[in-house]
Amino acid sequence: MVQIHNAFTLFLSLLVEAMPFLLIGVLLSSSLLFLIDERQLITKLPKNPLLGAVVGSCIGFLFPVCECGNVPVARRLLLKGVSPSIAISFLLAAPTINPVVIWSTWIAFGEQPFIVILRVLFSLAIAIFIGFIFSNQTNSQPLLQPTLVKRLTRWQSNYDLNKVNLEQKPEKVSPLLQSGSFLLNRGQILAMDASLGEKRPDFLPLPSKLSKFYLFSENVVQELRELGGMLILGSAIAAIIQVFVPREFVLSLGQNAITSILAMMLLSAIVSICSTVDSFFALSFAATFTSSSLLAFLIFGPMIDIKGIGLMLSVFKPRIIIYIFALAAQLTFILTFIYGYMF
Amino acid sequence: MSLKNKKKKKKSRQITRWLDVFALLTWGILLLKYVITSQIKLLIHPNYIGLVLVTSLVLLLLAVIKGLQILRSNPNRDSSSEHITLFSPRFSSSLLLVVAILGLLIPPNVLSSQAALQRGVTDTLPLTRFQPQSFRTSTKPEERSLLDWVRTLNAYPEPDAYTGQKANVKGFIIHLPEFPDDYILLARFVVTCCAVDAYPVGIPVQLEKSRANYPQDKWLVVQGTMETATLPAIDKNDETETEKRQLVLVAKSIEKIPTPSDPYDY
Repeated sequence: MVQIHNAFTLFLSLLVEAMPFLLIGVLLSSSLLFLIDERQLITKLPKNPLLGAVVGSCIGFLFPVCECGNVPVARRLLLKGVSPSIAISFLLAAPTINPVVIWSTWIAFGEQPFIVILRVLFSLAIAIFIGFIFSNQTNSQPLLQPTLVKRLTRWQSNYDLNKVNLEQKPEKVSPLLQSGSFLLNRGQILAMDASLGEKRPDFLPLPSKLSKFYLFSENVVQELRELGGMLILGSAIAAIIQVFVPREFVLSLGQNAITSILAMMLLSAIVSICSTVDSFFALSFAATFTSSSLLAFLIFGPMIDIKGIGLMLSVFKPRIIIYIFALAAQLTFILTFIYGYMF
Repeated sequence: MSLKNKKKKKKSRQITRWLDVFALLTWGILLLKYVITSQIKLLIHPNYIGLVLVTSLVLLLLAVIKGLQILRSNPNRDSSSEHITLFSPRFSSSLLLVVAILGLLIPPNVLSSQAALQRGVTDTLPLTRFQPQSFRTSTKPEERSLLDWVRTLNAYPEPDAYTGQKANVKGFIIHLPEFPDDYILLARFVVTCCAVDAYPVGIPVQLEKSRANYPQDKWLVVQGTMETATLPAIDKNDETETEKRQLVLVAKSIEKIPTPSDPYDY
């Protein structure tokens, strides 16, 4: 009974410590939905593949989302014509390379600053490397989900067509002189053809401050609910392992240089805890596991986990996900193992 | 028929939204309760109490806003989203609600000697934590807390350097199985972030009589002098019994005290 009570206390302690950071992350990511114009962002992205991968992995600073929020963002970026290498490096790096996550890692591991620094550096390195590899594939179609490709090509061909049209006819013909169906929208006249999907006009009513706030709060509550549910399950697992799994077993696993890294990587993939708060989860293993394995947990977890794979399947083909998964796993293992060996 | 289904769907969506409100509300209340009753000291490092307080207020505010929105808005409004979720919204909010209610019903407990034994008590600090900035000789020995002693020992481990010094420390009792019958370990948990990383540290105390008089987990204030003694110890690597020369506190007076409200040291 005491054991159960202990486990419950630890469980609550994890939740209470993590809740503020979850809330900050959710508030920020929801407000940035409205503050940052993705379309403008895309025009400023570099064309060079390596530079693109570097920039892609740093976009996380603008979108402080954890791994549940980044897949929809990456999907939107892809749909708007960003190259897959940028999207992939964003996908891998964004959950770690953002201010909220770095801050919460600092609070959990402030006594061991190298964990915080190396978490950022290694994640960046892995994301840039994998992004760079995929930049060799200039045609994005073999990578992506067929349905996504369909939407992408339709929009792209429309875009090209429009461009050709514009070049041929520099003088814009008034829509009133064209045939077809039209929509009247706030003084604009929009042709009801395929280009409508691309333009995505804002229809009435004009987004007032109130309705914006409504959307904002709706988004906050939704993310809080999803991530909170995940956090509860993750914390429960951490507390149960800490209290009920025999210490000898954990120690024998956690003190070996190789098994500790593998065990923590496996755990990070299973637990699927949100990256804004996963450092507190890792902290519960700080006394029994090698620090290189904690690092592996903090690097690998945000990139790949069960929940994330489900989300990624909506963007990429399964084969590509397996490539990303294998590359990320190997790189994480090698980097953290070298770190453990050197120090 | 289809109208009926629609109504049903509308109703179910309405229930989910109210579940959200209640989940937010109970979490706000739970966090606020921890801060007000100081139970929060059993859960996290005091540095973050302010953060938790603000969080609870924001959650309460959100709950009120959401509640008002549901009352005012028309339920037909669809919340558009690009989120793909693993759990159904209702499952997630029910989970949040249930945990918050459990938290309100069951108060957190103070980590016990059992937890300390499971985590492994030492008189040394883990290598990566609390590296003492300097060897503190300025504090008077009898003013050092248990944690100060451990920190000092960590900086300069030779026990003979401290023999004869007076000590006055507070902690809870752990019976280490390898210790002789007249020894207890006086221990404290040290917290860096939250109870999850609470790390037990302790100093052996030599009693005048059997430790059976001092049950585990009871809190004591022990006054006495430091001596060097050789005690049996369990080797960490191969779990064989060895002997270790270490600093022990020879008790002159022992006072039983109730469990303090802030049992952890930082």
